[in-house]
Amino acid sequence: MSSLSSTIQQVFNEPGCAKNQNKSEAEKKKGCTKQLQPGGAAGGCAFDGAKIALQPLTDVAHLVHGPIACEGNSWDNRGAKSSGSNIWRTGFTTDINETDVVFGGEKRLYKSIKEIIEKYDPPAVFVYQTCVPAMIGDDIDAVCKAAKEKFGKPVIPINSPGFVGPKNLGNKLAGEAILEHVIGTEEPEYTTPYDINIIGEYNLSGELWQVKPLLDELGIRILACISGDGKYKDVASSHRAKAAMMVCSKAMINVARKMEERYDIPFFEGSFYGIQDSSDSLREIASMLIQKGADPELMDRTEALIEREEKKAWDAIAKYKSRFAGKKVLLITGGVKSWSVVAALQEAGLELVGTSVKKSTKEDKERIKELMGQDAHMIDDMTPREMYKMLKDAKADIMLSGGRSQFIALKANMPWLDINQERHHAYMGYVGMVKLVEEIDKALYNPIWEQVRKPAPWDDPANNWQNRAIAEMEAEAAALAADPVAAEKARRAKKICNCKTVDLGTIEDAIKAHSLTSVEGVREHTNASGGCGACSGRVEEILEQMGAITVEVITDPVAAEAARRAKKVCNCKSVDTGTIEDAIRAHGLTTLAQVKEHTEASGGCGSCGERIEEILDSVSHGNDAGSTLVAAE
Amino acid sequence: MPQSADNVLDHFELFRGPEYQQMLANKKKMFENPRDPAEVERVREWAKTPEYKELNFAREALTVNPAKACQPLGAVFAAVGFEETIPFVHGSQGCVAYYRSHFSRHFKEPSSCVSSSMTEDAAVFGGLNNMIDGLANTYNMYKPKMISVSTTCMAEVIGDDLNAFIKTAKEKGSVPAEYDVPFAHTPAFVGSHITGYDNVMKGIFEHFWDGKAGTTAKLERVPNEKINFIGGFDGYTVGNLREIKRIFNLMGVDYTILADNSDVWDTPTDGEFRMYDGGTTLEEAANALHAKATISMQEYCTEKTLPFIGNHGHEVLAFNHPVGVTATDKFLMEVSRITGKPIPEELAKERGRLVDAIADSNAHIHGKKFAIYGDPDLCLGLAGFLLELGAEPTTVLATNGNQKWADKVQALFDSSPFGGNCKVYPGKDLWHMRSLLFTEPVDFLIGNTYGKYLERDTGTPLIRIGFPVFDRHHHHRYPVWGYQGGMNVLVWILDKIFDTIDQNTIVPAKTDYSYDIIR
Repeated sequence: MSSLSSTIQQVFNEPGCAKNQNKSEAEKKKGCTKQLQPGGAAGGCAFDGAKIALQPLTDVAHLVHGPIACEGNSWDNRGAKSSGSNIWRTGFTTDINETDVVFGGEKRLYKSIKEIIEKYDPPAVFVYQTCVPAMIGDDIDAVCKAAKEKFGKPVIPINSPGFVGPKNLGNKLAGEAILEHVIGTEEPEYTTPYDINIIGEYNLSGELWQVKPLLDELGIRILACISGDGKYKDVASSHRAKAAMMVCSKAMINVARKMEERYDIPFFEGSFYGIQDSSDSLREIASMLIQKGADPELMDRTEALIEREEKKAWDAIAKYKSRFAGKKVLLITGGVKSWSVVAALQEAGLELVGTSVKKSTKEDKERIKELMGQDAHMIDDMTPREMYKMLKDAKADIMLSGGRSQFIALKANMPWLDINQERHHAYMGYVGMVKLVEEIDKALYNPIWEQVRKPAPWDDPANNWQNRAIAEMEAEAAALAADPVAAEKARRAKKICNCKTVDLGTIEDAIKAHSLTSVEGVREHTNASGGCGACSGRVEEILEQMGAITVEVITDPVAAEAARRAKKVCNCKSVDTGTIEDAIRAHGLTTLAQVKEHTEASGGCGSCGERIEEILDSVSHGNDAGSTLVAAE
Repeated sequence: MPQSADNVLDHFELFRGPEYQQMLANKKKMFENPRDPAEVERVREWAKTPEYKELNFAREALTVNPAKACQPLGAVFAAVGFEETIPFVHGSQGCVAYYRSHFSRHFKEPSSCVSSSMTEDAAVFGGLNNMIDGLANTYNMYKPKMISVSTTCMAEVIGDDLNAFIKTAKEKGSVPAEYDVPFAHTPAFVGSHITGYDNVMKGIFEHFWDGKAGTTAKLERVPNEKINFIGGFDGYTVGNLREIKRIFNLMGVDYTILADNSDVWDTPTDGEFRMYDGGTTLEEAANALHAKATISMQEYCTEKTLPFIGNHGHEVLAFNHPVGVTATDKFLMEVSRITGKPIPEELAKERGRLVDAIADSNAHIHGKKFAIYGDPDLCLGLAGFLLELGAEPTTVLATNGNQKWADKVQALFDSSPFGGNCKVYPGKDLWHMRSLLFTEPVDFLIGNTYGKYLERDTGTPLIRIGFPVFDRHHHHRYPVWGYQGGMNVLVWILDKIFDTIDQNTIVPAKTDYSYDIIR
């Protein structure tokens, strides 16, 4: 287990993860094992995360070492699609029993591997560790090693038993396993200057196939997709790619970053959700390949293809404008994969409520992100009556959400469209966005929504639950308004940190009592933001409101400016705000790529790209603002 | 020989054997003057064209594959719904054998029904003697509480007068004078099975309420708070009537189900043969006169009965086989209005569950095109439900539907944006439907068992809803009325949709990349 815990530590040290970098050393040790709150509804475990990440490798036998629970519940539970082998869908498990728990399950595991190889002869066997064998001390690494030597076939241990942490950690541990045992173990038959890897894409609903023809047309070869519709040999020889695109946010960032480190494969974080994002990603792929030696004419062809595909997509979407006129969409959770989905909806004529977003400016992007990010947690805690009020106030026609909140939305009489989980349609790429708009059209016009919103005909409209709920809430608000003591109590009772259940009052008291000035300090004293960390921003706001931060800043403007400039923007390459601003001013930089060239910022995972763009904006806008002031005077 | 006593093959397998295949091929070649296969193929393809459809729809006389049954079948359906009542069909016995086998094949239950067994001499001299003997034998052999007389074509063509015949038979002592023998003329050359149902229902209430064919005084109506419920001819009568009773009991409604055949077609296997079971008692049938209102679930099954009842001072109202949320809402609201009983929480929850289920699955049904055929009311009920689901009932056809019905269906289409491309076909048959399935293709077909030939010929997946359903068992036990019934219909439709997706993706190593366990 020592190697497992060191692997986990390594994963926690991931420099590509901005969230991780903002943590203190002690916090980092604890890692992103957001300690799940006992009694709370929890997400998947590390085993699940590892299985989900690797399961789409289609020609591999995925053997789950453990009692039936683990494979029984995860067997073929994702709609990944395969263009070849179907062995990945076969449920292999050692299905250990009581005797195995007493005497150890290693022999059974070894025999199971043997039988898989004898009967199915896959190019590799992936062995997944689970809680029970991990706890009784089954050494799957040793068994896999022995089996590999004996049968002359890769047998890969995936050491990610459920108890080590959440799903997200499992994704990364799966990444570590293929980094250690698979990637770089074979050579491709040939290479081209147009070979790329796609990392963190699972080919759900065959989405990748909506993008692949475009890459094919450009002559860009997907050397390996990790792991959607992936083949073992492709992944094993993926270290020869020229560039990589990381798709699913942070799930496999360690794979992308370490491949850059070890094999000099630069990567960027991109998405094929949305028209703009698809174009950006294609451009980025082309530019990376050109930087690595591909013929620069690739960019011309890419631009031509983008122009053609964008036009086709926008034309198709434009047809819906008349049907969407006056329809309002309420965005709810972080389930929306990308802001540019939102851009497509707006282009199709839908009005977004809850935001005053216009099309695709950076501020709008941020606002959408903010809106979705903040509410991601909120929705889980919301009572139907609260949700109903929100939906009613927003006067929305439909709610756009991830899978989890759909059912609550429905109970609150709200039409919803799930564009995230358990999708049946592929929304990736240009055609995918057209399909999404088509689905929204269906959802908007399905007659059941009218039915969902109408109370039953026998309901007294004055006395249905919706109106009673509103009345109750109003009564409560009125009572609070009349009673300042109770109002203060209610205000202080507002939960700030969901993971650790910390309310506003506790945080305020701690700030006062210990004169805290930082989020870290608050975390130490109250535990708030010690879970997923999503409430750090809110804690910061509280600090600001209480004057805990601003006081310091005002007293010494020079120090404040220094602090502002020292704020790190790019965690991967350790570049701060000041360095970037100076570079922009000194060289008159105007684009992200230029900043990257001069400062290395955004040269890692690329997630700071937007912040740099903001800085670019503010440096140039700062001048504008100055001149406006002068003019006004 | 491929067939041997050691291992007897059934017909699925037997004729696929090489010996039979050879024999059949030889027979065709040598004795059947076979056509050029290419020509056969050409004609088959031609029969799918709009040109053929035009010729098909120009048919004036011939009916091919009718989607209706005869009046006497409906007569028997109604009659068995009364307590210990035996349907007595005055006419040829062959007809009666059909009704019995028809119902037995659908309900998988014995179906008791007798005939006056008219033969050639009766056809010449009239069937009076058959009536006299028949009633006496029936009365003595089967000890029914009531004999409900209806007719076949044979008796109708020669003009046998049931009223007079029954009177004479009573005079001759076939049955006691005060014994209940209601009657209805039900010739198959008029209307369809739903007409027969209507005539018998009317005949029975006329008998009890209007002085039993002049033998007693007419009943005096003393209004009470009860309501009468008539289901109409319905293949789901077992499940539906039980569901309606459950709903009425939940609401606390005081009710009488008229022609309750839900028990006689679902008797338990416990060692006792029940020739009769359940049913509306004769007393209830008579007292139904005093009810406050009478509800018919199927307008076109009670076109004569309902006005007759209305003339006796009831409020009467008819529905069109309501399926789904809106239609059930309307039904329950009317029941609630008439009886003054509120909708109980239990039903409100069931409504919510159905809405929930529809919302959960709406994406799979939305925009799918359906062809429906069946009895007029069933067509209306199903088309309404499909529109509610966001599906398009592209083709709605009833062999026994008339222009008035067609207008009503059209009005339903006009009420929904999903009805825009839909068309109604009154008086057409399943060969017309065959053409339509080729020229105006749909995603799914809803109909009875006979739809399977259309499924075979056109490849349109069939959802079996209707009467008769011979080749699937026990569906009649499930209600299609009420919110729970709507849930059943929803599930049947969804099952077929998912089966079709699976069927479409099941080829190993070819299409099975989409053969998913989660849909």
